[in-house]
Amino acid sequence: MFGLEISNVTKAFGAHVAVDDVSMSIPQGEFVCFLGPSGCGKTTLMRMVAGLESPGEGAIALNGRDITRQPANVRKFGMVFQSLALFPHLSVGENIAFSLRLQGQDGRQRKARVEELLTLVRLPGMEKRAVSQLSGGQRQRVAIARALAQEPPVFLLDEPFSALDAKLREEMQIELRLLQKRLKITTILVTHDQREAMSMADSIAVMGDGKIQQYGSPLSIYRAPANRFVANFVGLSNLLPVEVLDADTVRFGANILKVAPMPAPTLSTQATLSIRPEDIQLTAANAPGDNTVSGRITFIRDMGSSVEVHLDCDGRDVLSVVQPRDWIGAGTGDVAHLRLPQNQCRVLAA
Amino acid sequence: MTDLALPLKAEDAPPDHDRLVLAGLLSLPTLFLVTLCLIPLFLLLQLSFAHRGTGGLWSPGLELTQYAQLLTPQFLKVALFSFSLALTTAVISVALAFPVAYFISRMKRRAQIAWLVGLLSTLSLSEVLIVFSFQVLLSGSGGLVKALVALGVMASPHSLYPNFAAVMVCLVYLVLPYIILFLYPAMSQLDDDIPAAATTMGASPARAFLTVVAPMVKGPLLSAGLLVVIFTVGSYLTPLVLGRPQQWTVGIIISNAAMTTGNMPLAAAQAVALVSLMAGLLGLVRLLTKGGSPAS
Repeated sequence: MFGLEISNVTKAFGAHVAVDDVSMSIPQGEFVCFLGPSGCGKTTLMRMVAGLESPGEGAIALNGRDITRQPANVRKFGMVFQSLALFPHLSVGENIAFSLRLQGQDGRQRKARVEELLTLVRLPGMEKRAVSQLSGGQRQRVAIARALAQEPPVFLLDEPFSALDAKLREEMQIELRLLQKRLKITTILVTHDQREAMSMADSIAVMGDGKIQQYGSPLSIYRAPANRFVANFVGLSNLLPVEVLDADTVRFGANILKVAPMPAPTLSTQATLSIRPEDIQLTAANAPGDNTVSGRITFIRDMGSSVEVHLDCDGRDVLSVVQPRDWIGAGTGDVAHLRLPQNQCRVLAA
Repeated sequence: MTDLALPLKAEDAPPDHDRLVLAGLLSLPTLFLVTLCLIPLFLLLQLSFAHRGTGGLWSPGLELTQYAQLLTPQFLKVALFSFSLALTTAVISVALAFPVAYFISRMKRRAQIAWLVGLLSTLSLSEVLIVFSFQVLLSGSGGLVKALVALGVMASPHSLYPNFAAVMVCLVYLVLPYIILFLYPAMSQLDDDIPAAATTMGASPARAFLTVVAPMVKGPLLSAGLLVVIFTVGSYLTPLVLGRPQQWTVGIIISNAAMTTGNMPLAAAQAVALVSLMAGLLGLVRLLTKGGSPAS
């Protein structure tokens, strides 16, 4: 198949298993994010893809060819490091031309390619500058241009925007996504920032404890988290302890709730109901209909663009985020009714 | 003037009070420098132009007799030997210290501290102690010779000194901890991602080291080498104890002129020559590495 295939890859450092039996396939030209908290093994997995670490077990293949034992300097996957790792003793142009020089290109070819890449990352005419003269965002672009100079089969980025301020980070994210779409290059980006992953990736691999917890499109992961870890890590979720009654019914305290049908329900067991704060509808009066829970308002935060309401339902803290136009205007201590739409209620293993 | 301009002005020019504190803080090291370094140097310079009397005495004067003596082949030979000895020591000790400092900087925090403390503690041994320990170690009845004979490497026990190698080994031993400690900060600052980045661009590990790591550590290595040259060019005890007269350095010649011959002005002139040569070398290295001498 065309693309990158990771099969049963495991990597341990001493007793610590950093990457635990990971398998995934990344189609040619896709933009994939490895998303997870620090220490989840996402950087180690990327370094194995680059060839900078060798997997203890498992295999990595590119376009159907096994590259598990191929060293990094033969794979030549362009990589942007978290520290950027620009060579401080070389100018911007020499940094970008580093791989071209190793390929044995002559001065004219190198100059032309450097100019082309600098235009691509919107830094034309900067080749003579020293790296130390550049701003954070400019260095970022030089690192991207340098990694792309060799026309790598796979483009890797390890938390590339973590050192930038919020505004510049968003700009760079958009720019990188446009660039990737234009070049149609298979790209992996490692990040702990779920916003970054959601806004850029075709697919997200949520990682935790060295394993891939869920792999799918950003929206499918957000709408249907596979387990508690994903529900907690990607966006905010209300997680409520429930008892499973049948394939689409659970009991939360004294309330019987309809939920999205479970594929393989285990009856009368404890499970977790997950619902996003923005999916909960608040009403002042108890409207007839299924799936309502009542709760007492404990805290209100009016953010202007939205209202965050914390409620105490059966001793559990539940967060509801409502649009200002839907806000019932209640105060702290009032009782409100929460409508939980059936399709947004997902039951996860406890 | 607006209120906004006030804090800016305060930052640009520190008030008199701050300047006084700064001057006070700087006066102490300046005082040390003048009394302990510049005044003795001036006295030395004065002595080197003095007129030599009889019986180790001299009278103030302004003559170049002693400097003329520096141009004799004997002194030039010794000076040349001192420099080549210092240079060889520098090359060997930096070549040994560089990988050691690099590996220490890549260890776990605890191991790093243990190594650094260990290295620092060796500095508490005095040069005299080390040199005479080497004398015992290398002597015909010393442990090293016995071990070599027992292993069959050496046919019959004989002393491993005095010779050039003994001088060399002892000098390297003396400077090595300093150089490792000197190179350690530069090595810890070296980002591991940099050689990794070079390999993802197609450079073999050896090539990555030569094209990326080596140019980045060039400055600190050069400074370290210079430090060794300064340390060893005036070495005295090591060549005296472990060397033959052929391995004598300018330090020993100066001592002989002052103590044996009793010619203080000549000793002073030789010392001035050594100091100026070192100053010249320092200036040359500064010129060669201008703009890029971190860690020094």
